Amino acid sequence: MVSPHGIKLAVYLISSYFGDLNAKVCECLLQRGTQSLAQIVRFTELSRENVRNCLLVLIHHNCVQAFAVQQEGAFGEAPKVITNYMALFDNIIHKLRFPKFLEIVSEVLGEKVGKEGGKECEEIFEGLLQHGRLSLNQIIDRFKQTSNQGDSSAEAARDNFNKLVNARFVERCPAPEPFLGPPAEDETAAKKQGAKSAKIVKQTIEQRALAAAAPMESMRFLVETVTWNEASVETTDKKNTVVTLGTKRKQDNLESNTELLATDENKVLWRANFEEFIRRLRHKACVANVKVRVNNDAAIVLAATLELSRHSETKVRIDNSVPQSINAIYDEVIKRDGGLGMDLERIRASLVELGCETPLMAIDETYSVDLKNIIEQARIEEVECIVLKRYGREAYRMFRLLSKADRLLETDKISDTTFVEKKDAAKILFKLWKDDYLEMKKVIARGARQSEFILWKINKQSLWEHVLDEMYHAALNLRLRITHEQEQEKEILQMPREKLVKELHSELHNRYNRLRKVRITLESSLMNLDDALMLFHDF
Amino acid sequence: MSRSREEAAMKRKRPDLDSPTQGLPDAERVVLSLVKNKKNLGIWVAEVKKEANLPPTLVDKSLTALVKKKLIKQVVNIQNKGKKHYMAVEFEPSEELTGGSWYSEGNLDKEFITVLRDTCLKVIELLKVATVEGIHNFLKKRKVVECTSQQIAEILNSMVLDNAIIEVKSTGLGEYHPIPVGSVCYRTASGVALGTGPKTIGPMASIPCGACPRISQCSPNGVISPQTCVYYTKWLNTEF
Repeated sequence: MVSPHGIKLAVYLISSYFGDLNAKVCECLLQRGTQSLAQIVRFTELSRENVRNCLLVLIHHNCVQAFAVQQEGAFGEAPKVITNYMALFDNIIHKLRFPKFLEIVSEVLGEKVGKEGGKECEEIFEGLLQHGRLSLNQIIDRFKQTSNQGDSSAEAARDNFNKLVNARFVERCPAPEPFLGPPAEDETAAKKQGAKSAKIVKQTIEQRALAAAAPMESMRFLVETVTWNEASVETTDKKNTVVTLGTKRKQDNLESNTELLATDENKVLWRANFEEFIRRLRHKACVANVKVRVNNDAAIVLAATLELSRHSETKVRIDNSVPQSINAIYDEVIKRDGGLGMDLERIRASLVELGCETPLMAIDETYSVDLKNIIEQARIEEVECIVLKRYGREAYRMFRLLSKADRLLETDKISDTTFVEKKDAAKILFKLWKDDYLEMKKVIARGARQSEFILWKINKQSLWEHVLDEMYHAALNLRLRITHEQEQEKEILQMPREKLVKELHSELHNRYNRLRKVRITLESSLMNLDDALMLFHDF
Repeated sequence: MSRSREEAAMKRKRPDLDSPTQGLPDAERVVLSLVKNKKNLGIWVAEVKKEANLPPTLVDKSLTALVKKKLIKQVVNIQNKGKKHYMAVEFEPSEELTGGSWYSEGNLDKEFITVLRDTCLKVIELLKVATVEGIHNFLKKRKVVECTSQQIAEILNSMVLDNAIIEVKSTGLGEYHPIPVGSVCYRTASGVALGTGPKTIGPMASIPCGACPRISQCSPNGVISPQTCVYYTKWLNTEF
């Protein structure tokens, strides 16, 4: 379930990129969940035509996914197939992070192919971010226009594009409208099998749709060199049959998307692979956290381990890094800055500091780092910072006591351990509870004298959700303030540059400078805050 | 107290005059024995009145008389400062009443705590790594502050919570050489983070919203909104 301020932020982002109509459709989907076209028309009170166009835009920008489901017909009618639309909340919020994604592309590919090549890759990637989805031909055309190198530029574009795909920065778009069969069979089977498979059934229809839409792992990063490859024809045929199960109306609706199914490279659509970027950012965040909390050596070793582990990771939120042998880690460590001087002993010591256990037998010495723990630590630190800032040092001490204890503690016990006056302690704890940072329990002991104890606890799961919601709120506030500041100084922004330069030291010039600094402050704060958003939502 | 005069005064009434309680009126004697029975826990006035079976005014009178005669004293109960508690003079208030060694006269002894904290921090900086016992011995030898090792442990614990020092297990190597492997010891937070508090300021905590007590009432175009937020204005104007 997406938090209320998360939805507000997503809607605001959509409205600033694609306008109010799209925002309205998007809000409807986020608030009410998956819906059919008719439902959206009813709730948004927009014309059918408008809604259809909005959906097309949103689908094109990977913000909405369509899927078809079969519905029981009423009163003996034949079952109907209905197209449903779901908003992809994560992809909408990713729009905030595009600069970070671009930075990764230029960092990674710039290193491999030199500055110039990196720049070209970056341009292609930027085009994909701007347009949502593009075919290879469109990409090449765009590249030709900007580079002015004539025919050779097509080759270069293809080359750079391959680099992007090989680095997994770009992937094939998912199927436009996967068909989901009725889940009835699975359910009965699961009931028999008991609790274990009940978990699988819990998978929502949205998750099933996304899984069905995702291209096969073997196809996902496949660039076809021969246009009419036999194997690929076969696969698309399969896809075609799936889609023809859909209703006719749907095909009318999404005509533009049926292009996706054709094999020739004009028609295969590509998009940025957000998963890879989030994975890299997650790794970066882990390394940064370890660098501050443990030491530099440990950070280098962790970075090396994650570099090795990255390609074998199947999902973003992996709990432990994929086990790597000590030799492989060593080879990777010495390639890095500051890693050259490290020997096996130091690497082993760092791995122990990272919480790995030394294997008992030396035959198969592999290590796997507990990433979940690192992420959890980073989250705790972030929340502690907020508590310190908002409620003061004494509250910070109490909060840390509770978070370390991870169980119910009594008011007096808390005030004794943290050296806070009993009355103040109760006040602070109450304030934290009122703001949803703590949970409270009252216990009444009936002995000779009736007495009441108040117990406190941190419920991490619900606290994380609460903090995340506040962060979405804060991010929205930053965006709103940026817009507000710009509107305030509209006249300066519309002024020609020459005039501004001429009037150096004048009041106008000062105002211009102030606005520039304000924007830098706000935008960099937003980027940093976004790191925290990812920490609590994506990692 | 001038015992001889008292004795002299009582001589005529009673022949054996060992204790000062002898010359007391009955009511006072009943009250005194009640108070004494409670030993170092003290007794609440209301309880005296209930158990003594005497008219409340008489109890009050007796209590004040006994205090005057320096046979009992009034003590502060940390649990409930409003309730008057009495205790015989020969007892020291128990920990339950005083709130433990950290309290003096019913208040948290902040001065003592700060002194002890600073001293411990200095000792740890000096020794690099130290156990509770190590710090206690160090202080005992130099007679810096008088305290128990229990107190040191409590202080260190609170300093860990403040992130001023960190708790580690000895590996027995290097700096940990003098400390047995596996025993708990303390060291200053390494690297950048000397001093107290978290090591880095989180991105949320560094913007006004992170510290805002009114964030739940804030909404675009509301009474409190990011466009009109005073914290924001202050932040953006003081930044440069």
